Amino acid sequence: MKALVVGGGLVGSTLASRLAADGHDVVVVESSRDRLSQLADTLDVQTVQGNGTTVEALEAAGIADCDVLIASTASDEANMVVALIGSSIFHVPKVVARLRNPDHERSFRAIARQLPGDHVCVNPDLAAVEKILSLLPVPGAADVASFLDGKLLIAGFPLPRDSAFSGMLLSHLRLLFPERSVLAVAIRRRDDWFIPHGEDEFREGDLVYFSISPAELDNVLELVGARKAPERRVMVAGATRIGIGVAARLEAAGVPVALIDEDRTRCQEAAGQLERAMVLHGTPTDHELLEDEGVGRASAFVACSDNHQLNVVACLLARRLGAAHTFALVDNPALSGLVGEMGIDAVISPRLLTVGLAAHFVRRGRVRAAAALLEDEVELIEVDLGRGTRLVQGPLGEVGLPRGVLVAALLRDGIVVVPGGGDRAQPGDRAVLISTTERARELDTLVGS
Amino acid sequence: MNRRFDLHVLGWFLVVFGGFLLLPLPFALATDEPGLPWLGSATVAAAVGLGVVLATRTRDRRLHPKDGFLVVSGAWLLASILGALPYVLAGALGWVDAIFETVSGFTTTGSTVITDTTVTLRSILLWRALTQWLGGMGIILFTIAILPLLGIGGMQLFKAEVPGPVDEKLHPRLATTARMLWGIYVGLTAAEWLGLWLLGVSGFEALCHALATMATGGFSTRNQSVGELGSAGVQWLITVFMLLAGTNFVLHFRLLQGRLKDVLKDVELRWFAAIVVGSIVILTASLHRPEVPLADTLLMTSFQTASIVSTTGFVTADFETWPHLAQLVLLLLMLVGGMSGSTAGGIKSLRLVLAFTSLRASIHRAVHPRAVVPVKYHGEVVDDDVVSGVWGFLLAYVLIVLVVTGVVAAYGYDLLTAVSASLTTLGNVGPGIGDVGAYDNFSHFPAVAKLALSFAMLVGRLELFTVLALFSRRFWRH
Repeated sequence: MKALVVGGGLVGSTLASRLAADGHDVVVVESSRDRLSQLADTLDVQTVQGNGTTVEALEAAGIADCDVLIASTASDEANMVVALIGSSIFHVPKVVARLRNPDHERSFRAIARQLPGDHVCVNPDLAAVEKILSLLPVPGAADVASFLDGKLLIAGFPLPRDSAFSGMLLSHLRLLFPERSVLAVAIRRRDDWFIPHGEDEFREGDLVYFSISPAELDNVLELVGARKAPERRVMVAGATRIGIGVAARLEAAGVPVALIDEDRTRCQEAAGQLERAMVLHGTPTDHELLEDEGVGRASAFVACSDNHQLNVVACLLARRLGAAHTFALVDNPALSGLVGEMGIDAVISPRLLTVGLAAHFVRRGRVRAAAALLEDEVELIEVDLGRGTRLVQGPLGEVGLPRGVLVAALLRDGIVVVPGGGDRAQPGDRAVLISTTERARELDTLVGS
Repeated sequence: MNRRFDLHVLGWFLVVFGGFLLLPLPFALATDEPGLPWLGSATVAAAVGLGVVLATRTRDRRLHPKDGFLVVSGAWLLASILGALPYVLAGALGWVDAIFETVSGFTTTGSTVITDTTVTLRSILLWRALTQWLGGMGIILFTIAILPLLGIGGMQLFKAEVPGPVDEKLHPRLATTARMLWGIYVGLTAAEWLGLWLLGVSGFEALCHALATMATGGFSTRNQSVGELGSAGVQWLITVFMLLAGTNFVLHFRLLQGRLKDVLKDVELRWFAAIVVGSIVILTASLHRPEVPLADTLLMTSFQTASIVSTTGFVTADFETWPHLAQLVLLLLMLVGGMSGSTAGGIKSLRLVLAFTSLRASIHRAVHPRAVVPVKYHGEVVDDDVVSGVWGFLLAYVLIVLVVTGVVAAYGYDLLTAVSASLTTLGNVGPGIGDVGAYDNFSHFPAVAKLALSFAMLVGRLELFTVLALFSRRFWRH
């Protein structure tokens, strides 16, 4: 498949490298020569220098025969122009536009409906808000995504030393949860990712992804040793679009929220948009302010400012002052690598979430923001099973599931079933499958008809 | 400021006003009452008006917000002076009394110096009711067209509140909106006239009361006001129409559009309704006697509440004899007044809502010094200008009440009379308590006090700052 990426910033370049690793032919269009030569040196992609919003530059990059067009410049307007040129003039079958402003997103969708081809908007801010909101109810988790209309949670926990799981065989999970309502679906051990089997064992320091039926969440939290705050109170630092988005959704859910920002105008705007949340004017690293406003009783502290270094510092401070859990927005991959060791629960990178969503769309089509994982090393998909798919041809143990691919759950008549090797998937079921990214291609042969 | 053109506009106003002065003429001729007062005063108004119009012809027709202060204040003042002519020409009142009565009419107040309506010419009584009704019409125009432009007393907020046919801002189609709201005003007046007539009130008295109700005026054709006019049915009908007149006319318009949900969601309406219901409950609790049927007490308290809060000023009971708590409720209602965008006077519930919201925000800020707490109305942030405008208005209101109270008290009147006379005139209500109570009138005041009270009516009616601005030296400087 040939993919054209317009815009070689962090999102564009990361995405290009992911797609190249998947075996696609990737062309990157970028106007800055410096960045372009840097890309050409580090990635196995073709680069074209030019303004991606012009038809000429796109033609020079070979848009005429490309299968996927990804508009990932920093500007919404430019991305819309690129995407619209791609579908209206060149009829590119799959188009991805990265749009941050929800108004632009709505307009784009309205226009795209009139055009041929498959369109998707990926919104980094929205993806980050969704991610933060799914993380908050699962204290201690480093990553959470919800599937099957919220009836299945996939949550990754770092196993601390005192966790009841450490040293346990995976098959013993069956003894604790005989209905298989909790399953270990992926493990990161040091830098390796694998889909575990019954005879594998948990080790301390693992990052374990469980599939959890929401009713069992509290039991899992207890077992992994996560402490749950007695009441939900959230402090959000940074009245950015993400910060306000998180605060708005929390106050709508009845959770007390305080939102801090150092810019008075932004505070006023936020206070205008929010109903009950308290908006505070001050720096998120102001020790006294945080203490006065009760950070010590907060169940979570979410740092969403545009200054990502400040986010890390604010989280560390909030943690020291007693916030039960802290979350920071950090885009810089080098910085986020450090953070896990500092006691920040989860690091959210809006741009990497965007990359994940876009890559997912390129691989298989429709995506939901709620289903994106922070890690792109495992691939989780939710699909409706048709009559002809290989997965429904016999008991799951006999349809030839490759090692490294797991059916985490089936949704049948509104009920979640966690299948064993002897169970059958039926046409009309919705399935959640997981694999490591290297094995992701095999998923196609299983679920494609 | 374009003073020449301001005078030109006022000249035309006088010409039109001359036409208004002819309105009672057919009635006077038909009932064998003298036609001279009407012909005479109409001629004077038209002649003076035409003279001014001709003398001030100018090419420069630009108007600035400042001109608004001058034209509006000028129009009400001229109307009050020339509208007094018929009383004087008919020999009904002296000059000072005539001016007091006319100001009271055009400001839709309803305080009167006429001691006995039974010996007053019927055409004069009709003119009295008409001054109120025309004043109400003027107020509607003033509120939608001029007040938002002047940006005073927090009423900038009203700019966005006034509807066009599709809920847009009003300014581009001022004439259309004015016509629609006037249509509602005329329609409600006609409905009340018909209703009263059907309940057995004579056509003439029904008309006079309908005119005085919709303007929230309160001049009655009877010495004992509505109490003497008719049955419980008549009183209930007037109660309902007084409340309708005290409600924002924009809401009537929305209701006609079938947007009931929007009307019920209106924050100011909810406050207004809460004030009305709360007052009725308190008054009923403090006045009810077991030997009287509850329905009678309820009618009495509802009527008085509606009358005072809408600043109409009709009465059906002598609240002179009421306990202090009940009188205090009435004084507070005088202060509060009706809704913005109605013909009612007083502080108005919109300002009350904003002041309370702003107060709550201040308390919040005291507890959390770093919190950013905007004042919101209908989910939208209210500009600081508006909030400070509201506080400025409240302060000015209280100060004027004190000054006018001082003037009245200086003539030896007791404090309750002085305070209530001041509140009732500044709030454009009508009757007060004490020597200006339900069945008293204002004729016993000395001339200076009458003029001071007339001034209070004018200032209150024009939202204080329209008139006060004229007394600022800055206003006259270029």
